[in-house]
Amino acid sequence: MAVVRSNIVANSTARDNYVKGVKLLKREFNGPTTASLGIPGASRQISTYDLFVVWHHFAMTTFTPATQTDRNAAHRGPVFLPWHRFMLLQLEMNLQRVLNDNTFGLPYWDWAADGQRTLAKQKSAPIWAANCMGASGSPVKTGPFAFDATDPNSWRVRILADSSGNLTQVNRGLRRQLGASTPGLPGPNKLPKKAHTAAAVGRNSFDADPWSVTSSGFRNLVEGWENDPVVQPPSLHNRVHVFVGGDMSPSSSPNDPVFYLNHCNVDRIWETWMRPAPQGHGRVYVPGQNESASLKGHRINDTLTSLISGSTTPAQMLNVTQSYTYDSLAQ
Amino acid sequence: MANKLARPTPKSIASYVKKHAPAVRKAQKHHHMSSTSVREADYNGHHIVVTTTYRIEVDGIALMGHMGVTNDGSVHYHPIPNMRFTSAIDLVKQVIDVFPDDFAGRKRGSGGRSMKMGGMSGAGKMVKRTARVK
Repeated sequence: MAVVRSNIVANSTARDNYVKGVKLLKREFNGPTTASLGIPGASRQISTYDLFVVWHHFAMTTFTPATQTDRNAAHRGPVFLPWHRFMLLQLEMNLQRVLNDNTFGLPYWDWAADGQRTLAKQKSAPIWAANCMGASGSPVKTGPFAFDATDPNSWRVRILADSSGNLTQVNRGLRRQLGASTPGLPGPNKLPKKAHTAAAVGRNSFDADPWSVTSSGFRNLVEGWENDPVVQPPSLHNRVHVFVGGDMSPSSSPNDPVFYLNHCNVDRIWETWMRPAPQGHGRVYVPGQNESASLKGHRINDTLTSLISGSTTPAQMLNVTQSYTYDSLAQ
Repeated sequence: MANKLARPTPKSIASYVKKHAPAVRKAQKHHHMSSTSVREADYNGHHIVVTTTYRIEVDGIALMGHMGVTNDGSVHYHPIPNMRFTSAIDLVKQVIDVFPDDFAGRKRGSGGRSMKMGGMSGAGKMVKRTARVK
């Protein structure tokens, strides 16, 4: 039976179960070690939650094809949406397992609704309340992921991508810099707005040659690269990472549980785009399997990069209504 | 086609991680003293190849991640994957902000601020650019 994914600020049960579940995954150790994955330093076991951090980084550093260093196995190309849907499904099933609740559905953060607020109110929106994700800080000092140096069970970042792009071991609190000034960013560091989501949902094509950050289409706009008259990059998904800042900035961004709330909303926007015509564009995906082998990893029947499970394909990620639905689609 | 994902167990997770570990270890070996990007385009029957090499230093120490250039001339740096920049200097400033621990305690080099840029020529020629930021 399909579970229902809901807005985290409107469903306190989903919110509390999400917090409880990610904390359980953070304390679950099934055997994989830092040494077994080539992460320098003294070998120690990696929690199930942190394996997702490693997986995301691994996909991001797997270039597709290996002869170039732009498009990777999860980003900067068509597979961005199906790969993250695969990741969310794996997290959701693991949360159901540790919560012993197969009715649990991931919550999402409707960041475009918060994007309608002033910058000051974006930084104090309900999602940053102490009973939700907690606020800004280095380390975060409020909410369920606040750092307490005297409490080994407080939320700690243990695996981190460094400035060279390699995984390293740390033991510190979570960092966020909500809406902080960012060099090179056009204008203030603010969240996307509803008009930006609408511009993406209105795009007719899913993606297009050259299947990269210079493509025109829904995927590149919602990922946040495309230059659009309404939406200046970094936009939508990318802009949310930049707005939150801190540990949401490197390839180890799943360290912040807000990562999944962002991507769940991106997935919700994709589901909105895939509604039947005339509201949407149908469950279509390109490139097809007949496209060049240089697009391996992004074609409809290619295998998605995995770490903690068996794999799947973009085709198998197009219709997941047997697994979950959303309480409401993006407006 | 409907999805067919198996439900995870602690045992299945350990098993799959063991299977994929060699590929993860291989992906961990990203070190670049310099970053080279090759851009290609065809124009009026001519084939254009632009090769750009960046070598970036902060306080005399090289940034080891890969920096790339897209066809619109913007630059990106893999360790901060959600942004691109029109200025390499702004990019490096953001790297310093995102990874404060990697730069903590360093002293500014005695040479002061400098930026060296190599020659640039027209379409069909190689472009080499070296950025040194202190």
